[in-house]
Amino acid sequence: MSALVLTLRSAPAQRVDAGALNPTALAGMTPADVAALTLQVGKNVVRVDALFDLSGDDPGDIVFRGDCSRFERIGAGMKSGRVTVEGDAGGYVAQRMLGGEVIVTGSTGAFCASGMKGGRVEVRGNVGDYAGGAVPGDMKGMAGGLLLVAGNAGERLGDRMRRGQILVSGNAGDYCASRMIAGTIAVAGTVGAYPGYLMKRGTLILNALPVQMLPGMVDCGAHRLGFLSLLYASWKGLPGAFGALDASACTVRRFMGDMGATGRGEMLIRG
Amino acid sequence: MSVIKLTGGRVIDPANGVDDQVRDIYVKDGRIVASLADGDKVSAEYNVSGRIVMSGAIDMHTHIGGGKVNIAREMLPEDHRDDPVARTEITRSSCGYCAPGTLAAGYRYAEMGYTSCFEPAIIPMNARQAHMEMGDTPIVDTGGYAMLGSDDFLLRMLVAKEDQQTINDYVAWILHSTQTLGIKVVNPGGISAFKFNQRKLDVDEQNAYYGVTPRQILRTLSRAVHELGVPHPLHVHASNLGVAGNVDSTLATMDAAEGLPIHLTHIQFHSYGSEGDRKFSSGAARIAEAINRHKNVTADVGQVLFGQTVTASGDNMSQYRNSGLASPKKSAVMDIEMEAGCGVVPFKYKDQNFVNALQWAIGLEIFLMVDDPWRIFLTTDHPNGAPFTTYPHLIKLLTDRSFRNSMLDTINADAKAMSNLASLEREYSLYEIAIMTRAAPARILGLTDRGHLAPGAAADIVVYKEDADRERMFEKPELVFKDGELVVRDGKVVKVVRGNTHVVKPEFDRGIEKKIEPYFRQYHSVRMNNFKISDDELCECGGGSKLIPHACRKRS
Repeated sequence: MSALVLTLRSAPAQRVDAGALNPTALAGMTPADVAALTLQVGKNVVRVDALFDLSGDDPGDIVFRGDCSRFERIGAGMKSGRVTVEGDAGGYVAQRMLGGEVIVTGSTGAFCASGMKGGRVEVRGNVGDYAGGAVPGDMKGMAGGLLLVAGNAGERLGDRMRRGQILVSGNAGDYCASRMIAGTIAVAGTVGAYPGYLMKRGTLILNALPVQMLPGMVDCGAHRLGFLSLLYASWKGLPGAFGALDASACTVRRFMGDMGATGRGEMLIRG
Repeated sequence: MSVIKLTGGRVIDPANGVDDQVRDIYVKDGRIVASLADGDKVSAEYNVSGRIVMSGAIDMHTHIGGGKVNIAREMLPEDHRDDPVARTEITRSSCGYCAPGTLAAGYRYAEMGYTSCFEPAIIPMNARQAHMEMGDTPIVDTGGYAMLGSDDFLLRMLVAKEDQQTINDYVAWILHSTQTLGIKVVNPGGISAFKFNQRKLDVDEQNAYYGVTPRQILRTLSRAVHELGVPHPLHVHASNLGVAGNVDSTLATMDAAEGLPIHLTHIQFHSYGSEGDRKFSSGAARIAEAINRHKNVTADVGQVLFGQTVTASGDNMSQYRNSGLASPKKSAVMDIEMEAGCGVVPFKYKDQNFVNALQWAIGLEIFLMVDDPWRIFLTTDHPNGAPFTTYPHLIKLLTDRSFRNSMLDTINADAKAMSNLASLEREYSLYEIAIMTRAAPARILGLTDRGHLAPGAAADIVVYKEDADRERMFEKPELVFKDGELVVRDGKVVKVVRGNTHVVKPEFDRGIEKKIEPYFRQYHSVRMNNFKISDDELCECGGGSKLIPHACRKRS
């Protein structure tokens, strides 16, 4: 068996819901079955083989080729298997994903890994706004699993995040970790204005003080936190800025907040 | 001219005492006729031999329009995202499972053989919005009950000890102005009391500000509705909804009508005892016994079925109490223009939860212990107990004892032990189902040309293929006719028509406006004349709905 490769013929003019093309939904299907599936393209219904050239036969290992920046919900809801996007992907990549792996070599649109509960998402480019966040109406954003971003993240990274880890090697936008309920976010580069806005609990790890700090973030001084050495050790070998941290360098300046919410969140600034 | 013939069906028409008789039915221009005149040519004949033929079903209590339904829709985007309904050649796209959009609601009702639906809680100030939503609900006929009882104007009149005649005029004026079919009272006086920090109001407890008791409100309004000759009795959502031990206040509510007709809605939520280790038990036996004894009382059940739904009620007091139980964790409790309030709390009924499982059993106990199917109606209080799409499942629970008992075996064991459901042997017949879903609601609402199949009736007709599995039978009728048009075939909409709006127009003294107009000028957000909905406007905002006024009895 070789990976099922979907090569885009030409970029569609409208957005496409590609949520149905994931290993869990396609389990047990032959390439001919997959070719006959239909997708919603704007208001039209189009067969998969009208959009893509298909090769390979393993629906547990799916590869998208071509400019997929208009394809939304790639890998959404999948429980196992692997999806690779060679290029850019649209919004809602890995939304409510339960397990397995999604790799995007380019960048993604907004709401990447929104409501994700398990598995691993690796984006080698940038992610849009609300990565690991909650779509409007949802009470929780990401609730498990690992989101790795090699490039930058947009605004509201980890909005209403409940569990899991987000590691960004580049920069993050404004309101990083807003309304965060629990979980861990680490950003190697800079963050925009007001990180931790209405944060309830959870951990945000930064390498430098944010330029615009919320008044509800309270400085609690320098601490040596033993758990950080365990956390860093668990990241060992991951691609990007967090795979090779010195596990013994676990003294941080700790801020608690947002005091406008419950104030039990923490922002740790590495020394 | 269109003439339709349905040939050889097994007709079940309880309003006319017809139980499973093979008859031909003729429909001429949307009405049922006894036979064809000379020169009438049958334009469509349907061979329905062996099929069960009933009139279109009527849901007399379903929240399908008005402010709180929209709040529920806004609050639950996930309900809409996760349940999309694609457009077809003839139907439009819509969405939603427990708080569906107007379009999905209309299509789904029609696809289950329902041809009339009544919104039971129209806050007068929201009537325009409610009628617009109901006008946007395709195929089914609609109508509503105006909500009074916690409105400042009525409470002021009670404080001022105005005579019954004046109050009757106000009630009639509300029916005219809001274009509704009846009057509903929700937690009498309690919605107002909540705003004065009362968190509970028993039938003989005074509203802290007005000093008025629920009993006074019930007595006054049930008398007003009766004296105005409005066919539908006062529609009562009693005090203490959902509170353990509320069976006493429900019985007191029945007494407060002093023998006048009264309809108690979603009575399952008002039939709780406070016995047992968990101080929560079934009061179904006492309630059923009281309904059997009081011939002036009718009730709909408000059955709970397990799964995700959303509760939307005017009863802000009980919804505030329940908001901590919300699932997902979000809720809204609010005042609406001093006339009433509303509370929306999403809820998930779980079969392994003791209280939820017992609620499920209590509803079924009431269905099975009330003897007269003409006085008990099949509802889930959509969406409060469950979405209306669960009706076929509920019918199966009522008609099939072994299925019911096998479901009973799966629920919370403590709840099962607290219920006498296993010992109830009754199984509803198709005839009785036809009574409680058609003939009886039409009668209690005064819809003389609906709910039956005698000559002169509107041709709202449903044809079912008989199936021992009643759930399968009722979820997918073979044919549904609305006013003589074939709208559903094999459980799928084949034609979209516009339903009618049912209203009542009792006589009253217009002089009451001399009192109402200055009140609006001083306290309300609109002027009185902008508050009133005219016939023309109703038809226009209903997208061309036909207005059907129903006769009131002569004023006594």
